[in-house]
Amino acid sequence: MSDAASRLRRLAAFFSQGFLLLATALSLVAVLLIIAYIARDAVPFFKLRGLKELFSSTAWFPSGQPAEFGALAIFIGSGLVTLGSILVAVPLGIAAAIALSDILPYRARQLVKPVIEILAALPSVAYGFFALVIFAPLLQNRGGSLLALAAWLIALPLGLLIIFVISEMAVRSVREDVAKAARLILAAALTAILVRALLALSAVLNKVAISSGTNALNVSVILGIMALPTIVSVAEDSLQAAGRELREGSYALGATRAETLFKVIIPASGSGIIAAVILGVMRAIGETMVVWMASGNAAQIPTPWFNFLSPVRTLTATIAGDMGEADQVLGSGRYHVLFALALCLLLTSFAANLASEWILRRQQRRLGGLK
Amino acid sequence: MELQARKLFDRSLTGISIMAVVLMSLSLLVLLAPIFSRGLGAFFFRGTSEFRRLALEQFNRGNAQEVAGEIRIVGAARRPVYEMLSAFEDELDGMDPTRRQGYRVELKEIKSLLRELLGPLPGELEAVMLRQQYGQTRWDRALVKLGAILYSEEWDYSDTRSMGKKVLRSRQKAFAGTRLESLFPYLENNLSGMLRPRFTFYWRFLTDRSLDSHFFGGIWPEILGTIYLTLGAMLLAIPFGIIAAIYLSEFASGGRLVSLLRVCISTLAGVPSIVFGLFGLAFFINTLHLSGSKSVLAGSATLALLILPTIIRASEEALKAVPHTYKEAALSLGASPLRMVLTVLLPAALPGILTGIIISMGRAAGETAPIIFTAAVSVGRPLKLWETLSQPTPALPWNIYNLATEHQAVDEIRHVQFGMVLTLVLLVLLLNLAAILLRARISKKMRG
Repeated sequence: MSDAASRLRRLAAFFSQGFLLLATALSLVAVLLIIAYIARDAVPFFKLRGLKELFSSTAWFPSGQPAEFGALAIFIGSGLVTLGSILVAVPLGIAAAIALSDILPYRARQLVKPVIEILAALPSVAYGFFALVIFAPLLQNRGGSLLALAAWLIALPLGLLIIFVISEMAVRSVREDVAKAARLILAAALTAILVRALLALSAVLNKVAISSGTNALNVSVILGIMALPTIVSVAEDSLQAAGRELREGSYALGATRAETLFKVIIPASGSGIIAAVILGVMRAIGETMVVWMASGNAAQIPTPWFNFLSPVRTLTATIAGDMGEADQVLGSGRYHVLFALALCLLLTSFAANLASEWILRRQQRRLGGLK
Repeated sequence: MELQARKLFDRSLTGISIMAVVLMSLSLLVLLAPIFSRGLGAFFFRGTSEFRRLALEQFNRGNAQEVAGEIRIVGAARRPVYEMLSAFEDELDGMDPTRRQGYRVELKEIKSLLRELLGPLPGELEAVMLRQQYGQTRWDRALVKLGAILYSEEWDYSDTRSMGKKVLRSRQKAFAGTRLESLFPYLENNLSGMLRPRFTFYWRFLTDRSLDSHFFGGIWPEILGTIYLTLGAMLLAIPFGIIAAIYLSEFASGGRLVSLLRVCISTLAGVPSIVFGLFGLAFFINTLHLSGSKSVLAGSATLALLILPTIIRASEEALKAVPHTYKEAALSLGASPLRMVLTVLLPAALPGILTGIIISMGRAAGETAPIIFTAAVSVGRPLKLWETLSQPTPALPWNIYNLATEHQAVDEIRHVQFGMVLTLVLLVLLLNLAAILLRARISKKMRG
């Protein structure tokens, strides 16, 4: 090959790589542009009204005379809905991830995988429509009995498990020959107490009348289901990443599957599970359509603050709902305040993403070192 | 004993985790069941004679003679209703004024309900709105209207401690002793003769334009808008996505810049979709002035940014899954790296890349928040291709929201809403099914 030709070839390679890099940098450019343009329209608001009002007042009258921009209730609404979805999604998601990585046989796993994929793929507006048209009337008309049923479903298995552990621990010190009887009596007594308590609880819950089906509870449940696929798949990946060697080592020492999971696998992949939770929570915070359609959109702090049965309003729903009314051309205060809210959302998502990224990377390094 | 306890603990863990999986699957079932069962109601239902009259007059569809014959038949069945009405009106004139007043109000109510049920009363002026020119086109809605005629709803607030209770009051009893009394049993017994419900498969729901803001007709403008937006987003995102994946998997050599790029990609994936919408408004429309106001172009560009990370990740995975031996063989034959990528790597990774593309297509089709401020309008006609550069469009996800929350008669058009949701969900599910099948084929091929 001649000298000139090889130089030409090297030049071509250089330029083609430069071109590839340029196209790849679009993501970088997009992130920078998003920050720049959201911030550009958010700054006028902070210049105009300062920081204090937005984060401390609950008076949200962006189109009033004079306008008031107190978004505290909206932040609390977002927080409440997120908390609720965590309560739904995290226990369920982690348990399902454990089942998928360690418990279910291969064939069953292949059946469950599409379920997760479909849950992740369904459009958010379909979830929102379900929440508004089907779930909300159900909550409004049968809310009490639904709550009672949920209480039984959650408390009975968990309560039995706890009773079992307690009675096991209580008879540790008792003589061997009476231990069996003692455990049985104790467990029976505790179970009776549990059932009585649950009966009382469900009687109370049955009487609860929900005045509006579009409330924080509705949205929390739906958002929890929407966050499930993220949590399950990321948590399962990190449980898998703990590897065969750790599991086999633990089994070889005589540990049961549960002991292996709790004492070896989950400590080893704990950070990955935390990252999964962060990513799932971000999906819930950033979700718009479900909360816009089914949260009730009332900018008020529930009383007491954990009252999930009252309507709330979130950041995303406020942006989506108020932008239509805001005077987009003039760039009024109520236009810029929505960008200020979006900036808060954006910064939260950045922080959460970087945190989960960092956690996952650290776990990768650590597990790599283990092998 | 200790061992038994440990075993029991182990089993209960198994039980709880399997219960979680079952709950997850159940929630999917609970979610999809009503969407499917009621969504199919937009396509399969018992259409009345009004439906066939509408199809003929508005869409020029069906046999004109048959419809005319049917109109004559139902007209004959309806005549007694109108006769009873006019007889009662005559009777009303002769009544003493205090009794008359109460009847008048309710008669007016009944007449307007009858208009909704059967179409305009004979001898009335032609109505402006399409929904007033036709009666109920669907038998299920007709039965609801019939119920409203037979029984009036009242609220009972006598129990001050709880919320008001709904009480149904029979109108037949209210009109007892008048000439209108016999109207109610006649309506109840002869409604099917007046509307002649017949099983209808309305597949044109997908391809018809909507009439009178979705009271009648189909959802074609929305479907077309969704197709435009999705294809536009794919067109913009695919080249950049695949190029980025090629660079990251083949040419990037570690280093600060590359890890920065990776962080940016995952950050972009985590940006809430509503923020994308605001960004699209502030950047594509208010700064770049891609179009005067909302347009399909601006919406597609926004959606493209949203799905870019998904495409990059899926393509990178697919490229990495291509065996090293392929690349090495190509390089050892003297191909330049670029040529190796184009002729060996990309073809081998294509099915995997396609899988990612199909999945992100489903995502782009279903996203609502990014297009609220950039592309979507509630009412619109189907756009021509070149109009997408400057015109906004209705789109399935946005119109589902709009019809379910902001429409003036939300309850009357539930079937349209469910039909739209089903169409969107089916679209997304079919795309995902295609991706799953494609992936299954790849893994089969890889195993050899």
